[in-house]
Amino acid sequence: MPRPKSSQRSPEQANSAENPESARGLAIDTEGLNLTYGDGTEAVSNVSLEVPEGEFFGFLGPNGAGKTTSIKVFATLLKPTGGEVRVNGFDAEESPRRVRESIGYMAQETSVDEELTARENIRFACEAYGVPRDERDRRIDELLELVDLADVGDKKAEEFSGGMKKRLDAATALVHQPPLVFLDEPTTGLDPKARNRLWDYFRRINEQGTTIFLTTQYLEEADELCDRIAVILDGEIVATGSPDELKRRVGGEILDIDVEGDAGESEQAAEVARDTDLFEADATVEVTDEGITVTSKQARQRGTDLLVALRDEGLTVTGFNVRAPTLDDVFLAITGEHVEAVADDIPSEGTAEVDR
Amino acid sequence: MSSPTESSGDGGVAGEAGQSRVAARSGNSFAGDFWVNFKRWNLKAVRNPFVLVVSLVQPIIFLVLFTQVFGQVATGAISRGGASITYETYLVPAIAIQVSLAAAATSGVGLVNDIENGMFEKVLVSPMNRAAVFLGKTAAEIMRILIQIGIILVLGVALGAEISTGIVGALGIMLVGVVFSMWFVSLSNTIAIITKDQESTIIGANLLQFPLLFVSTAFLPLEVLPDWIQTVATYNPITYGVDAARALMLDRDVMTVVEVTQFSGVWNTIVPALAVLLALDLVLGSVAVYMLSKASSSDVQ
Repeated sequence: MPRPKSSQRSPEQANSAENPESARGLAIDTEGLNLTYGDGTEAVSNVSLEVPEGEFFGFLGPNGAGKTTSIKVFATLLKPTGGEVRVNGFDAEESPRRVRESIGYMAQETSVDEELTARENIRFACEAYGVPRDERDRRIDELLELVDLADVGDKKAEEFSGGMKKRLDAATALVHQPPLVFLDEPTTGLDPKARNRLWDYFRRINEQGTTIFLTTQYLEEADELCDRIAVILDGEIVATGSPDELKRRVGGEILDIDVEGDAGESEQAAEVARDTDLFEADATVEVTDEGITVTSKQARQRGTDLLVALRDEGLTVTGFNVRAPTLDDVFLAITGEHVEAVADDIPSEGTAEVDR
Repeated sequence: MSSPTESSGDGGVAGEAGQSRVAARSGNSFAGDFWVNFKRWNLKAVRNPFVLVVSLVQPIIFLVLFTQVFGQVATGAISRGGASITYETYLVPAIAIQVSLAAAATSGVGLVNDIENGMFEKVLVSPMNRAAVFLGKTAAEIMRILIQIGIILVLGVALGAEISTGIVGALGIMLVGVVFSMWFVSLSNTIAIITKDQESTIIGANLLQFPLLFVSTAFLPLEVLPDWIQTVATYNPITYGVDAARALMLDRDVMTVVEVTQFSGVWNTIVPALAVLLALDLVLGSVAVYMLSKASSSDVQ
């Protein structure tokens, strides 16, 4: 298969395989990454990313956007069909084993050997990654402590809850103290308590200097953890920035108001919301099936005033809710399309506009 | 298209990451990777004695019931050739082969388990040598087959069977069991990769076992079987495994599907039988290795 490579990079390859420190401190460096499956599905197209060492980086996107495919390419589980991938300074195609030695990888599906105990799972990982024999016991104890499984270290993993298995899985990805860790939707399917614990733990290893590349479907999670986020949609990066920057694009928090009646009443309510000077000038008001949605920085503070204004107009409010923006809101702001609706077609000008 | 590269004020942290990079270098060798996986699969076998016991129980039931129920009738049939032997002696080598067949069937089940619980991918993303990974697993299975055949031989002798070639012959039977098992290990792993489904792998391997056993020389000599079974038995790998093991058990040339006379005594059975089995191992083994390397390759499918 033809694999276009930028010519100015090739001469460096042999050199940098021996000397990763020459890679300008980038944990991940990709240029024009493409991955097209045999059946013609373009899972990832033209993804260029630079993740500096030590960063907590988030890959945010809906199901099927290409997050897992990208992470598998970075972790050498898939060969790209086009473009360049350098991980910790090593070319992922030229020296996959070097890359594997230098990364930790936590798959989306929890991967532990349930027939073995927590301790044995971590020991196997230590051996697989060649952790020196005299360091293993100490490392195993440390990791069990770190993920709060020390008291159940000798229990078989099959007795663990989903959250405990996830934590064990995370521990096995860290045995060799990798400078870069990939976490593929690590908290999907966990209850809030288990999720918060895992978050703490990821923050801790990031504070210790580990670069983290995390994928998630939840803006909340990316906001909570990440220094920087790339938003991926249909295999393409449509926006990059800090969580705050992305949220700013949305324009604040969201106030959903249900109004009794039909479209006429909703329209009337929207008029009220637009005419009042409760919200800043760039706040948006939309008519929905149930009523209206206001996106504003003052959504929380001025919500009650709006409800009063609606009542004064003779409208009956049957429900209301103030919430933080979700992934869907970010997509809506970035591409002008809802996540559900973009699966088959994204307007190209929408993509180009935000892709700076 | 390029992304902003300013890191958000964590330059100091990045420096530490640079240091731990050096610590990440692992000291893996082929032998080390082999050993790690050999240990893991042995540990799993010990942890899950159910599999061990189940693959022994059925053959043991066969051994005990067949000798008790058919012993009287069968002795006539097996003694046609000359020197009289007990049905226990006749049956033990067949049960040894049955054990290695049952144990081999679990090899694919182990693989499919690993695929299902993510350990397969976890191993692929590690720096371990992949050939060493699969060799370590297979070696653990071979060890299990050796032990299980050993148990059957001891049990058989306890029940009154006689190994004419003694200890050396017993070790030979164990070895025949291993050579025999490899084609079925390959087959069950191939089924595992194709189906990627535990139930299908178990059913696929087990469905084959019983009919194959009966249409071979396992329970009765070729000449007393109906014509069509004689024909099938000639092409059935189990016949070759059983005949080789039985030749060692009885210390004489027992093979009737193929007549070889260039060698002397037992070797007239063992040489052609092992030749057939090794050829089969090679063919199916190549298929399994091809399937495995395809499944673990990072090429886009």
